[in-house]
Parts: sequence; structure tokens; C-alpha cells
Amino acid sequence: MFSFVVKRAGFLKDIPLVAIIFDSLMRFWMLVTKPELLDWIDELEEDVTRMPETTIGIHKYGGTQFNYKGREFAHVHSNGLLDILLNKQLKQSLMLEGKIKDHHVYKNSGWVSFHLHNKQDVSYACYLLNIAYDRTKQK
Amino acid sequence: MMNLKETLYKVVNSKTVQGILTANIFAFLVIVIQSSLMPKDPGILVFSEFVIIPMLMGIITAWFWKDTGIRGKQITGHSVVNCLIAISMSFFFLGEGFICLLIVSPLIFSFIIAGAFIGRAMFKKRNQKLNISIVSLLLGIFIVDSLSNHYHENMVSDEILIHASPAEVWQHVVAFDPISQKENYWLFKIGMPSPMATTVSEHKLGANRKCIFSNGYIFDEKIVRFDINKNLIFDIVDQPKDPEIMGHIDIKRGEFILKDNGNGTTTLIGNSWYNLHVFPTWYYDLWAESITRNVHFRVMEHIKLLSER
Repeated sequence: MFSFVVKRAGFLKDIPLVAIIFDSLMRFWMLVTKPELLDWIDELEEDVTRMPETTIGIHKYGGTQFNYKGREFAHVHSNGLLDILLNKQLKQSLMLEGKIKDHHVYKNSGWVSFHLHNKQDVSYACYLLNIAYDRTKQK
Repeated sequence: MMNLKETLYKVVNSKTVQGILTANIFAFLVIVIQSSLMPKDPGILVFSEFVIIPMLMGIITAWFWKDTGIRGKQITGHSVVNCLIAISMSFFFLGEGFICLLIVSPLIFSFIIAGAFIGRAMFKKRNQKLNISIVSLLLGIFIVDSLSNHYHENMVSDEILIHASPAEVWQHVVAFDPISQKENYWLFKIGMPSPMATTVSEHKLGANRKCIFSNGYIFDEKIVRFDINKNLIFDIVDQPKDPEIMGHIDIKRGEFILKDNGNGTTTLIGNSWYNLHVFPTWYYDLWAESITRNVHFRVMEHIKLLSER
């Protein structure tokens, strides 16, 4: 569903609020159909807030954005799709582990996507967030 | 007794409850003030009532919840409760019907939840200027929208191929016996009135036509074009005002065009014109078109069945 909307109606994402509203509907749907996913997203938020000088905001294309000193290093959509900013080198080496994929829209960038499917995925997501945080901090 | 008092005290003093109550009281007051200070045509509900007010309701709750350490899942859950209370208030105080509220609920749910998360992000920044700017902008949009004129007309057209001559089809277009087929459109199945039968006073121009709906509602129509075997146009002169969607849409005119395909078949085209009284049209027109289309097909499939018998 998410991929279908992104593919077919992705051009609407630049209209202010449209993506945020869509994400809110997804969040509502998840609360009804898979409430534990919202717990996992909360765990990611809590993990990031423990990292020094991070803030949490709303991502312009819907979801929760994770920043270090105001610079975005990851965001998670309310269907559990975590997008993380790495570089191409890191991306290639992590992709060998077979858990992450190219970013669901920007395939040839340093961004990667990781989908939270179960509770075990949360620790790997935190691991990825830590890598992205460290990378952003060092820049 | 003491326990009840204590529980009540705790509930009233809970930031969660305070946020939800204040948001709903705010929405109620704004709608009351808006309808008394900015009178508009009865039945018209503007974009701001479904978009700006729910978003402000979400922001209000976020302000109450900002220092409570509430998690994202709880914000979502409490926002859903907030939505359900707002929807119930619309049922009791605004007299809206069940189907109407079902149609409006995706807008209310999404904007209240979005408002709560936007509010959470706003209040985390602790930037008063930003907060005041956002709230003022939303209130500004609300006032401008409430003062603006709202008018929206649309036409829906559908066609169907019938294996019968235009003369045969025409007999069932002007008036037809009750429809016996089962409903197959989900809104009709859950109680939205669907067309059942049509009667006509005379088969000529100026005659009165009545379209009878499943719940007994009658649309009074007047034939304004009577081109035998070719074209029938009727204006709707009176229609019921129902708390369900019918209070928010006015069907103005209907038309049947019969096209002879020259091979014993007829293409039957059904057109309907309506005025929509609820905004934003990008949302409600989707519903209005879908409902009109299903009314068309219910009638046209019936005409097909009678003509091909």
C-alpha cells in the first residue's frame, strides 16, 4: 500500500502537509492493525533521544525525523520504514549483511531503508541509527 | 464514595483528559461562534471545519501533554479518543447522521493525529514566536475560509450497453417497476438510501416524475425534455433533507440519453448534476461521485434487465 501510494501519488508529497496527513492515517491504521509497531517506533525515539545533542521532529514527507544538531540523520515512517543516511561505502558494506535495502525512493544515494517487521528488528534499527549518528557527528 | 470522588478528581486533573476536553470545548465554541457571527447558507460546511479545527484540536492536546513524557503510541491512542468524542459531539449537537460521520471520519482522524504530532514538535522547540505564528496562521485561514463564498457544482456521467432497441429501452427509462436486485454498493448495504422505483404522472413534457428511495424518501422531478426514444431530462424540484449525506448535496438535474447503435443495441447514458455543500471538494467529491455513480448503475442495470427480458 505504502509503495503503491509513493509510486502513484508521490508527486503530491511536496504539497504542504499532504505527506504528514498520509502518515497520520498510516499511524492510525497501525494502531488498529499492528499496535506493537508503534511501540517499536517509540523505542527508536527513546534510543535516539539518549544520544547527546539529538532532537526529534516531524519529517517533511511524514514520520518522525531524527536530527543531530539540527541535521537530519534518519527518519521513520509510521508503517515502520526506517530511512537512514549513511554514505555509499557504509551502505555497500552493510548491504552485504542482507538486512537493509536501497532507499525506497532515492536508490542511488547514501540513504538506505530498513523495515521493522518484528521486535528483533528494533535492535538492528538502533545499531543502524548509532552508525548514522556517529557518521553525522564526525562530519 | 470517597474512592469515586478521588478517581473523578484524578481524571479531571489528568493532563490527558484536560487536553481532550479543552480541544473539544474549543471546537464546539468555534463552530458556535462561527455560525452566529458568520452566517452562511444552511447546510454548508467549509474546509476549515474538517481540516483547521481538527488540526488545532490536535495542537491543543499536544500543549497539555507536552511535559507528561507521553510516547508516540499513547499520543495516537489518545488522539483517537479525542476524534471519537468530536465525532459523537457532531452526532448529538450538529445532528449529523451515521453515514455522514463515517465519511468524514478519515479527515477528522488524520488531521487530529497530525495536529497532535505537529504540536509535539512545535512545543519541543520551545519557540513561542513559532507557536504563535502557526496558530495565528491556522486561525487566519479559518476566518478567511469562513467568510468566503462556497459553491461547487459537478456532473457525473455513466453509460451502459443494452441489447435492446431504443424504443424498448425508452419504456423503462421514463418510469420503471421496483428494483428487486440486491444492493451491491457497500454504502447502500449499511443503510444509505438507494433508488427503488420511479413513477410518472404522464408520458409527456412537463409531467411530474417521482424517484422513490429505499427508505421511502421521494425526489419530486419535472420532465423538461421529452424526446421519445432519444432523450429524457428532468429537474429535481424537491428533495428530502436528511441528516445523512442528502443534507449536504443537492441533486439538480438528471438526464438519460439513448444512442441507437444500429445493430439492435442501445447505449444508455445517465447524467446527473449536483451541488455540493461540504468542503474540501477534493475529498467530498470523491464520495459524491462514487455515490452518484452507484445510483446511476443501480437504475441503469435495472433498466437493462427490464429491456432485455
